[in-house]
Amino acid sequence: MDNKEMVLGNLQSVMIEEDASYPQYSHPHGGIKNPSESFKSILENVGGECFFIKSYAEFKNHLVTLDIYKSARNICVCPKELGKESVDINSVEKGHDLRNVDLAIVRGEFGVGENAAVWVDADSLKYRSVLFLSENMVLIIDSGKIVPDMEKAYELIDFKKLKSGYFISGPSKTADIEQCLVIGAHGPKSLTVFVIRP
Amino acid sequence: MSNHAKKAAEFLKDEERARWHDQSLWFLREKRDNASKSVPDWESLRETAHKIKRHTLANLPRYLEQFEENARARGVHVHYAFDGSEHNSIVLKILKERNVSRVVKSKSMLTEECGLNHVLQKNGIEIIDTDLGERIVQLLGEPPSHMVLPAIHRKKEEVGKLFHKYLGTEKGASDPTYLANAARAHLREIFLASEAGISGVNFAIAETGGITIVTNEGNADLGNSLPPLYIACMGIEKLLPYSRDLSVFTRLLARSATGQPISTYTSHLLGPQPGQEMHVVMVDNGRSDILKQEKFRKALFCIRCGACMNTCPVYRRSGGYSYNYVIPGPIGTVLAPHRGIKKYKSLPSACTHCGSCTDVCPVKVNLHDQILEWKAEVDVSGNLGFVKKSAMVMATIVLGNAVLLALVGNLARMIFRILPKPICNFITIWGRTRDLPDIPAKSFRKVYNERVMNEADHG
Repeated sequence: MDNKEMVLGNLQSVMIEEDASYPQYSHPHGGIKNPSESFKSILENVGGECFFIKSYAEFKNHLVTLDIYKSARNICVCPKELGKESVDINSVEKGHDLRNVDLAIVRGEFGVGENAAVWVDADSLKYRSVLFLSENMVLIIDSGKIVPDMEKAYELIDFKKLKSGYFISGPSKTADIEQCLVIGAHGPKSLTVFVIRP
Repeated sequence: MSNHAKKAAEFLKDEERARWHDQSLWFLREKRDNASKSVPDWESLRETAHKIKRHTLANLPRYLEQFEENARARGVHVHYAFDGSEHNSIVLKILKERNVSRVVKSKSMLTEECGLNHVLQKNGIEIIDTDLGERIVQLLGEPPSHMVLPAIHRKKEEVGKLFHKYLGTEKGASDPTYLANAARAHLREIFLASEAGISGVNFAIAETGGITIVTNEGNADLGNSLPPLYIACMGIEKLLPYSRDLSVFTRLLARSATGQPISTYTSHLLGPQPGQEMHVVMVDNGRSDILKQEKFRKALFCIRCGACMNTCPVYRRSGGYSYNYVIPGPIGTVLAPHRGIKKYKSLPSACTHCGSCTDVCPVKVNLHDQILEWKAEVDVSGNLGFVKKSAMVMATIVLGNAVLLALVGNLARMIFRILPKPICNFITIWGRTRDLPDIPAKSFRKVYNERVMNEADHG
């Protein structure tokens, strides 16, 4: 007998007598009155920064004032509306070549008010490793959309064609040494989110 | 002394460390409380999570096959493993066939359970744990002592010494940011040079054939996006029917684990990235046998958040190693005896039945009820031991007879009042580390009866 037959065979004799129907449920987060405000304040709590702006033009003006931009030698820009910077994700040969990216600018689809997570559809990126290799990261939510909770968030995602997608909430972090919070574990050391709302 | 008690005593020898351990975990428990209270629907979310798990496990063969079919359609190689050694052979075979000599791994309790690292190393494959806490314990040659915080039993000075030896950090340096940065730089090179990545799985979705992995550090994501070969290892209980169910579990998991509103990265991987080969290994290793036992079934609902450990008054004061099992704390106590009741007979006794674990569990596993069941099983299987057994027999006789109970009570009160306190403390064991309270002159029954009489007198 192969492994599959053994596993499934052994499970066949499991009898669960109590009610095991799939539950009908809906749990909107009743505590989120203003999703955008909640998004911003939670993002700041988890070590990120958030700006609400009106246009791509305003974004560009704001970006150049940031230290993470001014100090960056290699910038990788993914939304094509912003043109190209020094590293073009589409012309490198493999994901590893993004190792020296100091700043990645990536599009996020929408934000979530209850936990400051941004949904990033990585299928638009040639290499998803850019999300984790770059030293600092900027996410732009150009839809301006912040939903209140995870229930609404998952309603918006179409998994049928998706290959990889991420909820990202704040910069990478660890508390594995004596419970001391250190921002910047393996992934980006900072996360700045711009929400564009005309 | 029992196994658990012996190891707990060892842990408690370093009083300062033990106190720090206790307080750090309690701090997490408080953060969990705040986070859970911020969600008005918390209790019904727990209830829903419980029902989704119950439904999934009742229909597991169907969902496993559905997952398999959908994952295959997305280009994933799906394997079943009946036990831990099959799991290890499958992973080893994949790596050997592709001549892999170096693997990066992110946290996976399942591979710990199966002892994968050992098998790969024996076969000449270098395996590097990449979660910071896991890397620390790996360099120390120790197993993790907590599911979420593997190195919680170690202090920063010890990590500093370790990193000085292996990563060349400055001698005497113990600043956590400095040390974490050194680990980042050290592991970054390893990630870039790795030929394969292995990770655990938090949730697998039958509807899509996709897997979801939750981390704060981003190590799992470097491990599954850089190497040309990626292997995800999961227990068969990790399945969920629909993507939508993630909305329930992602809201519960991080809040319960660390008090965060969500972990930094919740990664949804549905098939390999271009040019990559991806495998999923689904492991039984005793799970279906647990599923057959009604009173223990719900232990499989566990999503490995660690909340039961952080709240457990025994775990906090005895440390992860006192359990001598890959998963410690209350959830370890209900899982370990399935691997041999004789070996783990002392674990059910390491419980005060305060019920806090059950109260904080995000999927409502009836942990303390199961521990009570295990206490009975330890007795029934003849593993209780002479002292405990005799005490139980005597207690049954005394507590079952009102006259005898009154007599023994009077006798005990008399003896404890006559004997000097240090002797009382010594003979009760409990009093060896703290003073026994003063013994009251009257029994509860006497006080109660007097009060009833008094009330009757005064109307």
